[in-house]
Amino acid sequence: MNLKLPTLSRRDFLAKSTLGAGLVLGAPAVLRAKEAGAPTDDIRVGFIGCGKQHEVLFNAMVNIPGIRYVAACDIMKARVGRTFSTIKSRFDTKINRYLDAEEMLEKEELDAVFVSTPDFWHAPHTIMALEAGCDVYCEKMMSNTLEGARSMVAAMDRTGKLCQIGHQRRSNPRYRYTLEQLIQKEQICGQIVNINGQWNRALSSSQDIVSKPSILPDAETLRKAGFNTGADHELSLDELRHRFLNWRFYTDLSGGPISDLGAHQIDIFNWYLGCQPTSLMASGGRSYFKDREHFDNVMCIFDYDTPQGHVRASYQVLTTTSAGGGYYESFMGAEGTIIISEREAYTKIYKESGADSAKWDNMVRRGFLKKEAAGKAAGGADAIASYESAPPDEYALPGGLSKAPHQPHIENFLDTIRGNAKLTCDARHALESEAPIYWVNQAAESKETIFFTDEHLHT
Amino acid sequence: MAYKDKYSNDLGLTLGMLTLRIWLGCRAILTGIEKYAGTQNSDKDVLIDGATNAYGLTDTVTGKVYSFSNYHGVPVPLYDKFNSEPLIPTWGLNLFDTILGPALILLGLGVLFGIAQRISLFAMGLVYTSLTFGLILINQSSGVAWLGVHIIMVVMALALAKHNRFAVLKKW
Repeated sequence: MNLKLPTLSRRDFLAKSTLGAGLVLGAPAVLRAKEAGAPTDDIRVGFIGCGKQHEVLFNAMVNIPGIRYVAACDIMKARVGRTFSTIKSRFDTKINRYLDAEEMLEKEELDAVFVSTPDFWHAPHTIMALEAGCDVYCEKMMSNTLEGARSMVAAMDRTGKLCQIGHQRRSNPRYRYTLEQLIQKEQICGQIVNINGQWNRALSSSQDIVSKPSILPDAETLRKAGFNTGADHELSLDELRHRFLNWRFYTDLSGGPISDLGAHQIDIFNWYLGCQPTSLMASGGRSYFKDREHFDNVMCIFDYDTPQGHVRASYQVLTTTSAGGGYYESFMGAEGTIIISEREAYTKIYKESGADSAKWDNMVRRGFLKKEAAGKAAGGADAIASYESAPPDEYALPGGLSKAPHQPHIENFLDTIRGNAKLTCDARHALESEAPIYWVNQAAESKETIFFTDEHLHT
Repeated sequence: MAYKDKYSNDLGLTLGMLTLRIWLGCRAILTGIEKYAGTQNSDKDVLIDGATNAYGLTDTVTGKVYSFSNYHGVPVPLYDKFNSEPLIPTWGLNLFDTILGPALILLGLGVLFGIAQRISLFAMGLVYTSLTFGLILINQSSGVAWLGVHIIMVVMALALAKHNRFAVLKKW
């Protein structure tokens, strides 16, 4: 995906398919492809899936110029209607509404499609849109299965279209700066020996989603959309609707909490270390939500062999507590630790007492870091001197992000369509990073260490 | 008579009255203006080695701004407390909320420039008394005492009104 080729519009793509290459070459009018690098052209956008994640993406798009909203589809009529109203009131544009993605792709002339459907629909919708000649932005996790994710990479290669996966931290200036300037160039952590990441979420945020029955799709629509996949009996309407609203709880529809929440952060482990793990141990359980198919709490440990040495990375996703600092990824080196999070409030940098103070002071002077506070011992009568380490000084990133967290990733996608950038997380790189995550639930189930081979991780 | 003349022409009392006018006037004007104050965040690029960073990292700078849209006569936390008091009708609270800021500014200007000095001071005293009324109901004793100091200063200014000089309108 280094080179973004000039793209044909969907209309031209269909014309080319119908008329044949020879005729197309002889008919310049058909070759009205959008020239790469034509920034004045609006990008015609369609949405597949109009639920909560669609809202997050849309809210991150509203301040990006050069987008023409054309169409949206969802099997739930009320959701498409809400998207229609939102776009109408915000941009005074009437989009076309669909209940079927295939019909939308067939009828509309779109440059880009945003897929934010349940995980088990990501691969079919993405492949459908790529083959219709659209560039695709698909939410993570790529798919609920490794095979699904691999088929997306194959479709991207086959069609030559762009496929950005929604690991939005990859485009976040704070994350990019931390990796490129602080870890790689200035090496403020020294040798990274351990990584720890977590997403601790309170019970109140982990409850079943409910909705007014009158606005939900009927049983036939839900069966047609595959929400009965994997069921061992004929599902009632209520059961189907529960699966529709809470697809994240079902093993045949999603990857569960480790995929929903953990994927973002384990992706950062792999991206920052620049390699895939060599082995995995995991433990999980239906410890609180006993009726759910997926584990509600999962802990896992990845091992990495990096050029700097061996690294252990532990990760936990908890859906029964919010205590313990929220969500972050912590890179712990011999000279410093960077705790980074999408939330600035959870981001902290610490210098070990033995690290080169002159180097850190110089970085503060030059603007690479801000010094927040000198290390302060906890003190107290219960402190035993021989147990204690010198407290680390606290630092901070020199600045933050003044946009919605997803906006830079969408901007990167749109800039690449225009030929002005390179995708920060195309499907192939996303799968390289996601592949180990697909094995966590299996490792937790079997309670056996998985030693990764090419068979496990290839794209 | 001689005693009265002596005090009528006493420079100290005249300056005392002037000091009270300036204090009470400034206090009321600035309190009124502050009701239009708010904060505005602006982002500036982070400089590294003296140059704008290439990543788009920004630093948020918070500044104080004044605008009509920021106006709150009664601060929101106090408004909510007053609103739950049975002796304060909502319509009265809303009216008070609307006029408090402009009233403080106008009365402050009246006292500062000596426009209908006694009437302006008396009206100012009524405004502070009305504020005291609300604070008594919500049991904010320190606020009541604080406003009591204002009332004493208003009364002192009224007592010294006959020594008023440098006034735009001496009548009333």
